[in-house]
Amino acid sequence: MKGFLRRLLMKLIAGLVMVWVVATFTFVLVHSLPGNPGDIEYDRLIMQGTPPEIAQAKAAVVAGFTSHEPLLQQYFGYLGQLLHGNLGVSISYSGVPVADVIASAAPWTVLPVLSGLVVSFIIGVAGGVIAAVKRSTRWGGLLTLSGSLMAGIPSFVLALLLAFLFHTLWQILPYGDTSDVTLTPGFNGPYIGSVITHAVLPVSTYALLTYGGWLLTMKSSVVSVLGDDFILAAELRGISPVTRMRYIARNAILPLFTVLAISVGYMFGGSVLIEDIFDYPGLGNLLLHSIGRRDYPLMGGAFLLITVAIILANILAELLYSVIDPRVRRA
Amino acid sequence: MSTLAAARARRSPWRVTRRVLLRKPGRVIGLAIIVFFTLMAIAGPMLYPGQLAVDPDNIYASPSGAHWLGTDFAGSDVLQEVIVGARYVLLTAAISALVTAALGTTIGLVAGYHRGFTDSSLMRVTDFVLTIPGFPLLVVLSTIWNFGRPLEMGLVLGVTGWGGVARAVRSQTLSLRERGFLEAARGLGLSNTHIIVRELLPNIAPYVAMNLLLSVIGFIGAEVALFFLGVVPFTSSNWGVMLNEAVFAGGAINSPQALSYLLAPLVCILLLTLGIVLFLDAIDELFNPRLRERS
Amino acid sequence: MNRHTWVTAPVAALAVTAMLAACSTDNKAADGGAVYTTISGTNPITAGAPMNPFNASGNYFLGYNTMQLGFDKLNPADPNDFFPGLAKSWTATPTSLTVQLQDKAKWSDGSDVTPDDVKTSLAIALTQGSATVGAGFLTQGLDVGAVKTVDAHTVEIDQAVGGKNINFTRLVLKQTIVPTKVYGSLVPADIWDTIAASQGSDATAAQAAIDKLNATGKTISAFAPQTDVSAGPFVLTRVNPGSAVLDRNKYFYDLPKISPKQVVLRHYSGNEQIWGYMKNGELDSAPYTSIPTNVLDEILKAGNKRVDSLHYVNAAIAFNESVAPYDKTAVRQALAYVIDRKAVTKVGEPVGGTASTHLTGMIEQATANWLTPDQVNALNPYEPDTAKAETLLKGVGFTKNGDQWMLPDGKPWTITLQTVNGFSDWIAASTVIANELTSFGIPTKPALTADFATYKTEMAAGKYAVGFWLTALGPQASAAYQRLYGADNGFSMRGATVAHVSGKGSGNWQNTPETYTVGGNTVKVGELTAQLSALAPADQKPIIQQLAIATNQELPVIPIWDYTSVQFTNDKRFTNFPQQGQDALLNNPPGVWMMQGYVQGKQ
Repeated sequence: MKGFLRRLLMKLIAGLVMVWVVATFTFVLVHSLPGNPGDIEYDRLIMQGTPPEIAQAKAAVVAGFTSHEPLLQQYFGYLGQLLHGNLGVSISYSGVPVADVIASAAPWTVLPVLSGLVVSFIIGVAGGVIAAVKRSTRWGGLLTLSGSLMAGIPSFVLALLLAFLFHTLWQILPYGDTSDVTLTPGFNGPYIGSVITHAVLPVSTYALLTYGGWLLTMKSSVVSVLGDDFILAAELRGISPVTRMRYIARNAILPLFTVLAISVGYMFGGSVLIEDIFDYPGLGNLLLHSIGRRDYPLMGGAFLLITVAIILANILAELLYSVIDPRVRRA
Repeated sequence: MSTLAAARARRSPWRVTRRVLLRKPGRVIGLAIIVFFTLMAIAGPMLYPGQLAVDPDNIYASPSGAHWLGTDFAGSDVLQEVIVGARYVLLTAAISALVTAALGTTIGLVAGYHRGFTDSSLMRVTDFVLTIPGFPLLVVLSTIWNFGRPLEMGLVLGVTGWGGVARAVRSQTLSLRERGFLEAARGLGLSNTHIIVRELLPNIAPYVAMNLLLSVIGFIGAEVALFFLGVVPFTSSNWGVMLNEAVFAGGAINSPQALSYLLAPLVCILLLTLGIVLFLDAIDELFNPRLRERS
Repeated sequence: MNRHTWVTAPVAALAVTAMLAACSTDNKAADGGAVYTTISGTNPITAGAPMNPFNASGNYFLGYNTMQLGFDKLNPADPNDFFPGLAKSWTATPTSLTVQLQDKAKWSDGSDVTPDDVKTSLAIALTQGSATVGAGFLTQGLDVGAVKTVDAHTVEIDQAVGGKNINFTRLVLKQTIVPTKVYGSLVPADIWDTIAASQGSDATAAQAAIDKLNATGKTISAFAPQTDVSAGPFVLTRVNPGSAVLDRNKYFYDLPKISPKQVVLRHYSGNEQIWGYMKNGELDSAPYTSIPTNVLDEILKAGNKRVDSLHYVNAAIAFNESVAPYDKTAVRQALAYVIDRKAVTKVGEPVGGTASTHLTGMIEQATANWLTPDQVNALNPYEPDTAKAETLLKGVGFTKNGDQWMLPDGKPWTITLQTVNGFSDWIAASTVIANELTSFGIPTKPALTADFATYKTEMAAGKYAVGFWLTALGPQASAAYQRLYGADNGFSMRGATVAHVSGKGSGNWQNTPETYTVGGNTVKVGELTAQLSALAPADQKPIIQQLAIATNQELPVIPIWDYTSVQFTNDKRFTNFPQQGQDALLNNPPGVWMMQGYVQGKQ
């Protein structure tokens, strides 16, 4: 137990160092973008038909939220704020704290992503077991192929394809938006139903995208466990198939935690495209918005959040791995 | 064991490859698809040199004898555009695969072979590359640096995408390190460079090749996605640009007229993915003799 | 439904529960009656942004819950022509404006709209960048010196000492009026002293005062009111991630005119979503979007009606004249003869664009208004004519080597035509232009910049020789010509004098000559443009005529198309929409239509 805690501590420290490195990297990155928030606001207003003098005034306010200190000073200021858990204030939201802006977008990424992961985990793991057991049959082969294909298809191609098939061609599912706007949000049947039907396409996209990873990993894992001596021994000793399956599952599921970490990271990064296509007001769309408006603090915050999610997922996966697998625990 | 080795030696690599390939029809189809698109990428721009013809009086025309896949927003032929656009997509993927292979293999080999400080510092760098969210990073980079051309785009994708290969190569190297032949090589006093290049690399190569084919799929997805999102400047049309125009300017999701413009590049990407996945199955068996002997 | 549903439903239900917690839970639904659904073209709905008109992403909706004293009719002949808003009427003197508020003007909490609210609002306006010297702009700012209460419904607004801005009425009427009880506490008690100091002659004190005002401005624009207090026909009830819901304000001063019980403004992130909503008949009206013909057909098929109105914007090709050969007038003229603007418009902006015909730097309608018919007829229409182009080019030393044009120095002439990502109409147009120029013998390649911010930065740095640009911004001719002979061309106005700068870091990327010679006369374009902003429309005419004719001859830009504002209305649920021709109304949001007595629900 003591060893476990020490390892946890080490991992957390390593994670923190990584957060610092990423924060520094993104800081440099976002500040090297050409253009500045004030000019962008001006042009945005001009294109909406705002008279030049009014656009000029409004752009000046936005520019007022941009720090004009030397970059190095800004950097240390930023790190200081980060240490206090403060992400700074957004420029394009005229001074609203970055944390608040991110908090209002986060549910629309986290929940569909998690729903998608849970769905794909169930289907993918079940598919993987079947594909492993039936690997010499035609169906097993097809199942494996479906996994490889799904793991390979670019996310936005899948999203477009689903949108086209279910919305344009068959017209059975809504596309764009998070719910039917005529309904009142709240705990009422029609609204919840509407949110669910609107979530079907994005969640299915997330699910299909990760399904391949689960399936392939589970399959190869089950195949290798099936060949292990102890399973063979168990079979020879006449241990019931149900118990044997339990052995197999327990041992085969281990490598999936690595996939979990990768999936979570991938999906936060990949949500940019899927949210753009389905018009979901999540973190990916927020990141695009912040890049387009050169909202440096918001960009930094969104990047940091995505990175922290990946780092945490990695730590979690490793810890789970060590808790479940006796070999790693003892080592 | 000796008879088996002798039997293996008798088979030439080409015959083995052919046998493995022909075992499942899917693999032949996969190879055919890859060859088809490669030819398209090489010959496409030669088939239609110069700029694509525009025809303002024939915008979003339906497929017909003159335009097999219809026309786009400027009245240009969609089929021509798909064929000409293939070069960018495949060339970029090839360049990024090369960069990834070079960086990933070198770093993975060196880290795995030397271990110790070299290993841990190289692996921290690898962790960093793996942690930075790839796609959002590309979106930001595209604004800072104009990488609209294949070479630059390939470099960027490769430089940001080698983490996975490096990690895989390292773990493979670690396991090879303890094998007898390396011990022997070290015992003979051969230089580290010799051991890494002559002894380790050949053993790792098949493994890298597989990882590469997989990453090619990822690279194609990423580059096309950047164009689709409309964040990368471009000088000539490609599949991603077509998708972007079809969805955001042509309203293909809402209007059946622009449909072939949307579906043509979409189907190409799907086919190419399918081709690589099918063919990968054959590579897998070729390089994992265990699989071959068993079935 | 299909089999995807049962798999996702339980998980999604879990998700919903948590999402609901994130939403505001005001369950006050409209009790029956018609709901008006539309899109706010200027506000895509930003979940998480405050309900504050001074926030750059704020959720406020002009004409619905955000009120001004009046609403701009965009009348080019009279910049001070407004629809009444919170002001019932107004009278202007050269140095002041007296406003009569609506008799029954009330906030949505039932309290009166008072002259004090106007005073607070104008003070806030001065903290919102208006007090800064409008660097690079040849117009005068909102120089309010004092706001005096005349009686409970009358308020007098004075210009700062010495100010004689002819646009003062317009600037004041356009300011957002907010309640003192919500925003008053954010405004320091001594704000009017600070304002006075900012307008004083002591430069150091003025700058200090402006810094102080800007600091106050930042606090105000970040402020997030708990609830919406509106003096408009609607009040914001809640903002969902995908829409804003506004309910009718029962205290609105002209309540009988407002027919919809509720207005739903839908979120959008791109044009294609707005098209989708229209195709499904979900919108009662839709603002202007750039639209392709195939989508237009789908939208019309769904029962939507097209309503066109003037749009004071033109898409043009601009030059950096410090780069050879674009410094030669003959070269720009030759290019204008080669580019077939009708063909380009057909691809670039087939629905919302009309090919430019007279190339004066103003939109077609404005040219017809300001110039005499004789003058218009005398303008060069630059009809596509490659023979003329060849003559012009050969006249300035260009030669043709086979199919390819050579520069006077013997090098081949190629063009990179710069456009920017996201402007799909420009991108499409540039492919056609590139084709036309290439087949004429100037190999041309369209090139894209990653986003508009980069485009503007690089353009200002003089990196593009030839690129797309928006011109003819209106409706005032002075704004249109500032686009050509203003800051981007190195001209800036300080008081009565016009300064001109050029070279690196000056922001001057157009680099035209400071004067043109037209018909033997010297035309000082920068100075004339600067004068326009200080003249009443009636006195502007001779100057505008000079500028238009000079621009037509010299072509600092080649205008390609005028944008037309193509809006849509749908009479499934409502009738009596503004019709084509009612441009003053159509240039305002539907909330203003309703205030003017338009839009009634169908029974």
